[in-house]
Amino acid sequence: MEQVGFALGELCITGEGSSRGRMGRKRHSDDIEDTSQFKSKNLKAERKRREKLSNRLLTLRALVPLITNMNKATIVEDAITYILGLQKTVEVLQDQLCEFEASSQEDAKPRNEVEVDAAGGTNGSGIQAEVQVTVIDEDRLWIKIIFEKKRGGFTRLMEAMRAFGLEFIDANVTTSLGTMLVSSSVKGIYGEKLAVQYTRELLLDIINGI
Amino acid sequence: MALPYLRGKANDQFGKKRQEAGSANREPQETGDNKSESDPKMLVETGCYDLNPRTEAEVAAAVAEDGFSQTVPNCTHNTHNGLEENLRLAMEEISYHQYQHNHHDQNHNQPPIHEDAAAAVAAATAMEIELQQQLAFHMDHSYNTSDHKNNHSLDNSYIAHEMQEIDHFNHHHSHQDQQLQQIDIHNGHQNFDYSSLQNSPYPPAPDLLNLFHLPRYSASPLLTSSSISFSDPSQNTTNYQNAHGLLGDVPTAADSASSASVLYNPVFHLNLPPQPPLIRELFESLPNGYMPGSRNGSLFGPGGDEREGSGSVTYQDGDVRQFENGVLEFTRDMACIAKGRDGETKHFATERHRRQQLNDKYQALRSLVPNPTKIDRASVVGDAIEYIKELIRTVNELKLLVDKKRCGRERSKRHKTEADDAVGDVESCNTKPLCDTDHSYNIGSLRSSWLQRKSKDTEVDVRIIEDEVTIKLVQRKNNCLLFVSKVLDELQLDLHHVAGGHIGDFFSFLFNTKWPFVDDFCLIPQIFEGSSVYASSIANKLIDVLDRQCAAVPPSNY
Repeated sequence: MEQVGFALGELCITGEGSSRGRMGRKRHSDDIEDTSQFKSKNLKAERKRREKLSNRLLTLRALVPLITNMNKATIVEDAITYILGLQKTVEVLQDQLCEFEASSQEDAKPRNEVEVDAAGGTNGSGIQAEVQVTVIDEDRLWIKIIFEKKRGGFTRLMEAMRAFGLEFIDANVTTSLGTMLVSSSVKGIYGEKLAVQYTRELLLDIINGI
Repeated sequence: MALPYLRGKANDQFGKKRQEAGSANREPQETGDNKSESDPKMLVETGCYDLNPRTEAEVAAAVAEDGFSQTVPNCTHNTHNGLEENLRLAMEEISYHQYQHNHHDQNHNQPPIHEDAAAAVAAATAMEIELQQQLAFHMDHSYNTSDHKNNHSLDNSYIAHEMQEIDHFNHHHSHQDQQLQQIDIHNGHQNFDYSSLQNSPYPPAPDLLNLFHLPRYSASPLLTSSSISFSDPSQNTTNYQNAHGLLGDVPTAADSASSASVLYNPVFHLNLPPQPPLIRELFESLPNGYMPGSRNGSLFGPGGDEREGSGSVTYQDGDVRQFENGVLEFTRDMACIAKGRDGETKHFATERHRRQQLNDKYQALRSLVPNPTKIDRASVVGDAIEYIKELIRTVNELKLLVDKKRCGRERSKRHKTEADDAVGDVESCNTKPLCDTDHSYNIGSLRSSWLQRKSKDTEVDVRIIEDEVTIKLVQRKNNCLLFVSKVLDELQLDLHHVAGGHIGDFFSFLFNTKWPFVDDFCLIPQIFEGSSVYASSIANKLIDVLDRQCAAVPPSNY
């Protein structure tokens, strides 16, 4: 592998020298002739780089049903061929699925009513809509919202909040029994200080409006 | 060595030889054939030993006069090697006459009975002279080729040998029989050398023929330059005259040196067997870097094109001529490759070509991968590995989906048919239809897929198991929660859980979503708009939206 590595290194002279962070290929070759100090430093790095490349090439070779010779050029070439083949297979299968979909659309029974989880009333679960706002920092508030889960409810909530200048810093949303719990810290978009009460009432309105 | 024998035998065997010589033209050709199996030049030469039986006196005189067999009047110049050859010949002819004194006596003594022998002697001397001339004149700057240079070192090996033979010729002319015998032996020997020399980069044969008696054809200036120097043997011109002719021709040769086209193919009437294809095949079989006729200077110029161009120049001539040229230049080039002096430069060109091709392949590989990041080879290969794994996963997932769909259809059909049967309704749902046996491995398995997509600022990781879609998102610039939730709504994914936030420089979120509508039988979400059931489409859409919209919004300051 060492020889291979060296060979690879030699042959990579015109390769990606520019993208190397350390030393370009040309300077590297000069360094080899330079002081032994540079030589050892660079040699290790170069060797490591070559080993990395050859290990990856080996992995690639293992993945691909390699048909032809086992040298660097052919492994890359065969990988290209294999990838193209796989992409084609994916296309074919997707087309098949589309056909199935098209033909089975007629058979599809209307399932819009089967929305088990999507919308459930909070009434059923007994959980009330709620808003809680606390100040956790100068300009940050912590809010907790419970509201009935509806289609696109969260989006509407987000939109409304953004419209009012509130922005999530972090968010945690969970869903349970048809209700959604949002706990997050928010911050004013424009960096203004947010009044707690004001925010709370705002959020309540938003939730009721969803 | 040869001459004494020649002399001794002259009287005895002259008649015999004459008969032999005169009997059939084929004899010299046959000997030529025997001697050089694969060398058509030999054939040509022997053909040149022509075949006008002469009287001993005539032959002797002819030989005496110019030291070469005058019996090769119609010795058509088998091929013309090229300008340089002609020129060299001309130049060498000039100095050749210097040797005439040495040879003169011997030539007289030589019984050119056997045309082959005489021709061989002549050939030997001619070769010798030419080789020496080559050494002396060396490079001709007039024709910008390095042929001589290439030939130079190779010639050295032959020079010594030739010198020996010449010495033999010069010193052993006391006995004609000896000469004759020697000539016979030497003839064979010479012919062999001749043929070997033919195969060597330096081709004495055509030079020899040029030197000698080529009929004058004014069609080609080049040819005439060389052939002019060779007067008709019947004219009994002296060597001096030939030399003069040559001298006179030298300027014309020089003038015509620039012209590359040779109009006349002197070998025409030789009725040679079709030899050129052989050499052409040789050329075609040559590796790319070793196109014959390529000159040292031009090797690395534009690379392959120039080489081929120069190589093609040599083919402009007539068939046999190109063949001749090809052999010469091919052997010449092979010799210089073997020497290694210029071979390295040829290697550079091929090596560079190879490296270029390798780089192109790496680029192609990179272009195939959806998330190319770095340009260096290791990263390209790493990305390719990940992509291949992803493609394999996708293929498996799709196969499974197709199978399940097919099963589901069959099951639903059966279900419909059994729907009338109220009793069996429930059971039919539970019974495993036919497709199970065929795709039993699929029924139990879950549809799963996983892929990652990266763009400059965004990383998306989408995993699908059955009807649940898990999305991991890392974004650099903006808080994109709103946009993502919009996209998820479009995809008809129900948000079940979201976690994440502003972490360091990034915004990272994890979305657990679910498809609301699932086929009871197949557990495959029904595609309403026929779009985003696949992880790849989900990921691509997300990346699109995030890159476009989030980038449009100015990043909020934190």
